[in-house]
Amino acid sequence: MAKPKVGTYGLTGCAGDQLVIINCEDELLEIAGALDIKSFSMAASGGDEDCPLDIVFVEGTVVQPEDERVLRWLRERAELLVAIGTCAVWGGLPAMKNEMRPEELRMSVYGPEGNTFQCVSPRPLSSFVKVDLAIPGCPVEKEQLLQGVASLLHGDLPQLPTYAVCTDCKMAEYPCLLVEQGWLCLGPITEAGCKARCPGYGRPCIGCRGPVQDANIASEVQVLQEKGFTWLDIQNRLWTFAAPAESLKIDFLKEGANA
Amino acid sequence: MKMVILPKESLPEFIGHLCPFGELHVPVKVSEKSYAFGRVNDLSDIELNYTRTILPLKKYVFKPVDVMFNFCAATGYETTVEETDAKRVIFGVHPCDIHGLKILDLVFGGKYVDGYYSARRNKAAIVGMDCIPDEFCFCRSTGTDFVDTGFDLFLSDIGASYLVRVGTSLGDDMIRAADSLLREVQEQDRQAYKRRSTQRRESFQTEVQLQELPEIMDLEYDSEVWRRVGDKCLSCGTCSMVCPTCYCYAVFDELDLAGGSGRRQRRWDSCLFKDYALVAGGHNFRPDRDSRIKNRYFHKQRGFVSQHGRPSCVGCGRCKVYCLVGIDIVEVIKELRSEIRV
Ligand code: SF4
Ligand code: SF4
Ligand code: SF4
Ligand code: SF4
Repeated sequence: MAKPKVGTYGLTGCAGDQLVIINCEDELLEIAGALDIKSFSMAASGGDEDCPLDIVFVEGTVVQPEDERVLRWLRERAELLVAIGTCAVWGGLPAMKNEMRPEELRMSVYGPEGNTFQCVSPRPLSSFVKVDLAIPGCPVEKEQLLQGVASLLHGDLPQLPTYAVCTDCKMAEYPCLLVEQGWLCLGPITEAGCKARCPGYGRPCIGCRGPVQDANIASEVQVLQEKGFTWLDIQNRLWTFAAPAESLKIDFLKEGANA
Repeated sequence: MKMVILPKESLPEFIGHLCPFGELHVPVKVSEKSYAFGRVNDLSDIELNYTRTILPLKKYVFKPVDVMFNFCAATGYETTVEETDAKRVIFGVHPCDIHGLKILDLVFGGKYVDGYYSARRNKAAIVGMDCIPDEFCFCRSTGTDFVDTGFDLFLSDIGASYLVRVGTSLGDDMIRAADSLLREVQEQDRQAYKRRSTQRRESFQTEVQLQELPEIMDLEYDSEVWRRVGDKCLSCGTCSMVCPTCYCYAVFDELDLAGGSGRRQRRWDSCLFKDYALVAGGHNFRPDRDSRIKNRYFHKQRGFVSQHGRPSCVGCGRCKVYCLVGIDIVEVIKELRSEIRV
């Protein structure tokens, strides 16, 4: 079997997910052996930017019109498009202020000088093109990425966790920060896969992997309110990493905040 | 049953004598309010004054994530059972958790023996210890506040000493090794043991009637209660992870990059997860939370009774203590029985 032709690209984002690939030091030779890497600008210049690709890994969010153009071009070139990182999967940090108009936001950050570039309301890849596999994480977990690649090489999609961070947190027997300390933990509504890294360090989950499927946001919000958090605390935390997610666009959040 | 007396001041030395029987695991404090079984360097770190650990003993005999076998296209597969851990002595186990193990034995050691489970189970020595219930414990209602079997040794606190019951020949070896620390049971010990028994019984703050519950659950299959708890439940899986008798697991493969080889693994699963009852073709038997949380209760309190003659719940209270939204098993049962309304 010919090695699959692969490209790795970044839209607007911090390049942290591409860095995770480069940081797979022990596996890099194996990765290079299994894949025909056509383009990976963060690792090497002079890639082939025209050839058709079997798999393209895309990091980052669509924040500028140029991002959308690149994304559509990649979609056309590639058989499979893999969104890597929470920015690509959910909109990530760039989308945390999506309730503001993009021009207003640009003005408040860059001042009048910011007028030299265009920006749109940040949105994840899936709102523009078909995404074949989404691996969330800020940044992605190395193991999940490698499992993703291994599965794709076997002609399959990997089985990513469909349960919440709490499950991993309890499997690791970490004391619960929400029950015990009354802290604002998003573990119950966040997709697992990080082995509950933050609760493991005694810090609450801030939801960097985006909402788990079927998340019960209403019940989470209610329990956080009972613990004494304000609408604003809760809303800010919920919208830090995945504001464009359908499950987080809940009217009662806004109503509550205005009340 | 053989019984001896261990003066409390000799406990550290006694524990020292247990060490040759296996790696010692004891309750330790892991946060302000939480405990866990684990290893200690210093015997003074043992926390005997605990009520429940976050995870029950199932973590030792049925690991959260476990490799079942390695596979390779060229050479076939090899199981990993033989590589399982060496002997362990688990010290300070409360009656509900011993019953939890006995229930897992029914499941994993029944007609179809689970090799991964039994390899570890056979290597685990259990030294039990009695306890005073807190407001979450309802093991008296589940009939699991006392153990007749399932331990090698069992220590009951009778004031200045422990009354030690010997449950197995391994337990007998253990007390022989610590012979110099022990003495015979005397009249005042007999009286103290009976007082302790009464004191434990009178300490229960929570009681729930489990008799006839299977029928009542069938009658209340469409109860509003399920909708109410289903609305609250986060499907976070916590209750299943911490339950001594939740034993479901999911099987998955982890592949090597080079292709053609990998590992088959299993990981704790929960019927509260959305895709637990998802089958090929895309049908989901329990797509909503009401039906999933109902399933958890039905399996514990109804299905298990039909199959094994008793509920699989051992009344440890963990699912209530750790449920983030405060879903309370005792309250749910009382509501089904129309003893309370919420
Ligand atoms: S600490 Fe957070 S992630 Fe862990 S069980 Fe509690 S709520 Fe869930
Ligand atoms: S615990 Fe939460 S915030 Fe921390 S890495 Fe995991 S998903 Fe991200
Ligand atoms: S159902 Fe709850 S109380 Fe019963 S054994 Fe499981 S965790 Fe303990
Ligand atoms: S711990 Fe509570 S919220 Fe979490 S799955 Fe169990 S019942 Fe639902």
